[in-house]
Amino acid sequence: MNEKPDVAEVKNVIEAKNVNRIFSVAGKDFQALKDIQLTIPQGTLAILKGRSGSGKTTLLNILGALDKPTSGQVFIDGKDVCRMSAYKREKLRRRQMGFVFQAVSLIPTMNAFQNVEFSMRMAGVRGKRSERVEECLKMVGLGSRMKHMPAEMSGGEQQRVAIARALAHRPRIIFADEPTAELDSAMGAEVVRLFKEMCEKEQVTIVMTTHDVGLMSAGDEIIELENGQMAGGI
Amino acid sequence: MLGIMLRKLISKKWMFICLLLGCVLLIATAVSFPFYRNAAFNKMLQDEFTAELVETGHWPARFRVAVSSEKNSGDAVLHKMEELMNSRASVLGVEPKENVFFYRLNAFQMTSLMDREDLKAGLKLSPAFMSDLPEHVELLGGEMYSETGLSGDGAVEVVIHQDCMTANRLLLGETLQFNTLQDKNGRNIKIRIVGVIDDVVGDYYWEIGSGELSKAVLMNEKLFREYFIGRSDTSFSITCCYSYLFDYEKLESKDADMLRAAVDEDPEAYKGGYFRGVLERFISKRERVSVTLFILQVPVLVLLAAFLFMISGQMYELERNEISVIKSRGSSGGQIFRLYIYQSIFLTVAGVLLGLPLGGYFSKILGSASNFLEFGLTRQLEPLLTEEVCFYLAAAAAATVLIMALPAIRHSRVSIVHLKQSRAAKKRTWWEKVFLDFICLAVALYGYYSYLRNEEQLLKDMLLGKSLDPLLYLCSSLFIVGMGLLYLRLQPLFVKLVYLIGKRFWRPASYASFMESLKNGRKQHFIMLFLILTISLGIFHATVARTILQNAHDNTEYLDGADIILKETWRDNRYAAAEDNEKARYFEPDAGKYSSADFIESYTKVIAAGPCYTTNTARAVIDAGGKQSLNLLGIHTKEFGEKTWVDSELLEKPYYAYLNELAEVSDGVLLSRNCQTHLGIEPGSMVTISYQNNLDVTYSFKRKVVDIVDYWPGYSPVTTRFTESGEDIISEQNYLAVVNIGSLQRVFENMEPYEVWISVKDGTEADEVGHWINDNNIKVARYTNMSEDLQADLENPLLQGTNGVLTMGFLVMILLCGVGYLIYWIMSIRSREMMFGVLRAFGMHKRELFHMLMLEQIFSGVLTVFAGIGIGRLVSGMYVPMLQTAYAVADQVLPMRLSSDPSDLMRLYGALAAMMALCLIILVILVVKLNVTKALKLGEE
Repeated sequence: MNEKPDVAEVKNVIEAKNVNRIFSVAGKDFQALKDIQLTIPQGTLAILKGRSGSGKTTLLNILGALDKPTSGQVFIDGKDVCRMSAYKREKLRRRQMGFVFQAVSLIPTMNAFQNVEFSMRMAGVRGKRSERVEECLKMVGLGSRMKHMPAEMSGGEQQRVAIARALAHRPRIIFADEPTAELDSAMGAEVVRLFKEMCEKEQVTIVMTTHDVGLMSAGDEIIELENGQMAGGI
Repeated sequence: MLGIMLRKLISKKWMFICLLLGCVLLIATAVSFPFYRNAAFNKMLQDEFTAELVETGHWPARFRVAVSSEKNSGDAVLHKMEELMNSRASVLGVEPKENVFFYRLNAFQMTSLMDREDLKAGLKLSPAFMSDLPEHVELLGGEMYSETGLSGDGAVEVVIHQDCMTANRLLLGETLQFNTLQDKNGRNIKIRIVGVIDDVVGDYYWEIGSGELSKAVLMNEKLFREYFIGRSDTSFSITCCYSYLFDYEKLESKDADMLRAAVDEDPEAYKGGYFRGVLERFISKRERVSVTLFILQVPVLVLLAAFLFMISGQMYELERNEISVIKSRGSSGGQIFRLYIYQSIFLTVAGVLLGLPLGGYFSKILGSASNFLEFGLTRQLEPLLTEEVCFYLAAAAAATVLIMALPAIRHSRVSIVHLKQSRAAKKRTWWEKVFLDFICLAVALYGYYSYLRNEEQLLKDMLLGKSLDPLLYLCSSLFIVGMGLLYLRLQPLFVKLVYLIGKRFWRPASYASFMESLKNGRKQHFIMLFLILTISLGIFHATVARTILQNAHDNTEYLDGADIILKETWRDNRYAAAEDNEKARYFEPDAGKYSSADFIESYTKVIAAGPCYTTNTARAVIDAGGKQSLNLLGIHTKEFGEKTWVDSELLEKPYYAYLNELAEVSDGVLLSRNCQTHLGIEPGSMVTISYQNNLDVTYSFKRKVVDIVDYWPGYSPVTTRFTESGEDIISEQNYLAVVNIGSLQRVFENMEPYEVWISVKDGTEADEVGHWINDNNIKVARYTNMSEDLQADLENPLLQGTNGVLTMGFLVMILLCGVGYLIYWIMSIRSREMMFGVLRAFGMHKRELFHMLMLEQIFSGVLTVFAGIGIGRLVSGMYVPMLQTAYAVADQVLPMRLSSDPSDLMRLYGALAAMMALCLIILVILVVKLNVTKALKLGEE
């Protein structure tokens, strides 16, 4: 079984220094992120906020080692992600990270249980996985729908399965891109409450993006982006 | 609307190119059939006429009618006939080659005005004329009658045939007078023989028949009409022979029906048509060729339709999201449907424009197929745009529009809500519920069973000219479909089994691909079925073509016996011998020419004599008058063995063992199996063989049976032929006795005519042999040339057409197989791109992703390819013999053997392997190029 992370010592799990990201669009450079500096301590629920096109998802992808910054450094647990080999980054994602995407991202050929279990397989979790899967699905309130296929569930339910999936292999960080976009406000609040609970219970660090102002209050840290730059925050 | 369509066109250009390819191929294949058929049938009709000409020596495209007017009753009947005959050309629509009238009076007593004692007392001759005579005669002596037809002294100038001259002992320049026949003025008619003529050999003008000319004195047509036609005092009768020859080389297949209809409509007017039999034979053959070729073409057309359906279905699948979004935003189903209809019409029009010329080209390729996948025939089949072609074109075009628009009907009703619901559905497909696979198999097996039970009757029907029952052929296709569906039913079970066996060990990538194959396998059903159909039909068609050609080839080779068999007509002295009361004998022609001919490698003399009669000591079995006849073959065993060959699989011992056995016993005989059974004797017993040659000399000799043979070069144990009525066929046994030629020559007092069995040097042209025969003035009694006969087999429209259709079908199938699978595979990957993004985000390595897709491809592709190969082989073994009956010929002797050329299958497998390799390459490219963040973005739209 995975060891519980050390609760006593609070340290910065995520650290970004001078992160810039430039996209080439039709021959012209477009700066999506500019001089991002941030630190996110362990066990916090960090919320990235900002309008569409402000660079939230780009930053999230970079922090989640899905994308590389054009310049600057990103440290996860003090290690420079940008200098890692592709293989190491993949391993990092598999073992230490969980992802929840804005769009429905469940594997359509697997039921809720299998979807959650799959992330554990990916992370290389051996032994009895089903207890943990059940635990996670119960946590998101879907204990009774474990055998349902994604297509048989509502958007909210699917998103909750995705959250359970992001959680199941006990990652240190969960990245969630607009996890509440497809949900009504009550459900959105429920998801954020769930995140909050996880941060406290399992010492998971969660970075989520949203543009729902009503949810901001739940965040331990609010990072606001405006045209690719940090607007205020911390 | 048009703008949207064009934008769609450009954005999904590969899809559209594939759809266009499908359209073009479907239309081209559909029209190539009537294109080819028309051209091939025209040739076949001409071949049929030519065969009749060669067989009978008479111009087959002819009428010959005779009408007589009665004495004292006027000649109105002749007028009527002349009118009818002159209008015949326009009625039939065929230009005359020759249009000959031959009028003659009944014969009248006449006296020579020269005082001749040798002239018979009862000389009777008929005044006559033949139209356009001067242009068709060889003048042996004297001259033709003059323009006026009268000589200075009022005598009618006539020419006579040389037969008439000798039969009546007439003289050139002789003047004769009719005793009673008078002209209009009541004077007895005087004639003067101004010329002696002969008919020109090879001039079909003389189809009128020169036999009746032995009593005719031929005069100027104008004069004849002036003298005898339209007279009120007719003390004579006039017989009018009319012969109408038309040029069959200008006939087209469609004229055959018209001609036959014309003949059937008014049999009285067309009696004496010699070509009805030819037309009958042609029409029945055409029917058979037509049905057989059509049947063979159908699966290819169905597969092309399936290909179109699959690709357009795949395209709608891609556009489903867009469609449902548009629908949800208020666009009517009708609008969307119209968009797809326009798109289908656009593609079809392009398909017609490209497909029609391609179809013409296909038909030329079809016509040049000299063997399976070989195109060596150089003959010109001109594709003509006939009504039939237009009909096929229209039908194919309508079908393509419909097929491409069909999925749109379903999809245009789908809104985003339905879409999500339908994605949830995972129930069994309809065909699984109704057990379509088992139904197909049951029907196919029933067909197979009933074929096995009625094999002989079927064969008989074929020989009687019936066409193959399409349902029987359908059985083979049904079998393939049934097996394919059964495979689809079983395949998930197999995958599940593999999954369960290794459940504990599967890595996440394998696990995901198992899940994909198990849960989403149904999506792949169509492509898997398509793959199975193309592969197994490809194998089936290759086997059919090879088997049919090989069997025809083997049979001809066997029946011909040697490269060339030549028998000369021998001179004999039967008349002289009869007068001198001696035994008649033959005179052997000079055999030295065989040694000196350039093309002859070696030759052997074979005495082929029949009918003979055999008896064993107990009973006389084969009687003289019976239909069963014994053919005696006197051979020089060593030389004969060098020229001939029989597949040892057909015989109990190797062929040469029989020859050696015979060689060891100089008075031995090899008997055919049926002869042995009939006589009820065993090897070792004696038989008596009697033979009477054409000169009525009888020989009788005893021979010891050394062995029994089932097959022998050129020997066919059973002859099937039509009964008199032509409604049934009967089989007759042929018996064979093979003896040593040396022993035979000791029996015969004189040399008997022998055949020369020749093996030719490589590269000998048939023309060369023909020239040699002409140059040496050989009078041919029998001539077979194996290479000519084999060539004739290849050009036989049924075999050639089959070959062409199967070859084209095979190539089209290989193409479809490759393109179809590739497209399907790429599309199925594309539609899951977001999924791959998610997996990559979860930290799945590219290699793992590749591994996962490979596994999926193995489950859906490789496994299916192997299933297709297995089914193809199975269906070939079961149904090729059935199809073979469609090619049954009366002289089929050898048992049918399944035959296939490994190189055909290698080509198919090669194409499949190339396709799979291409799939792999594309897979690698897709995976390498996969951009995680971009792929994830896809999902957000």
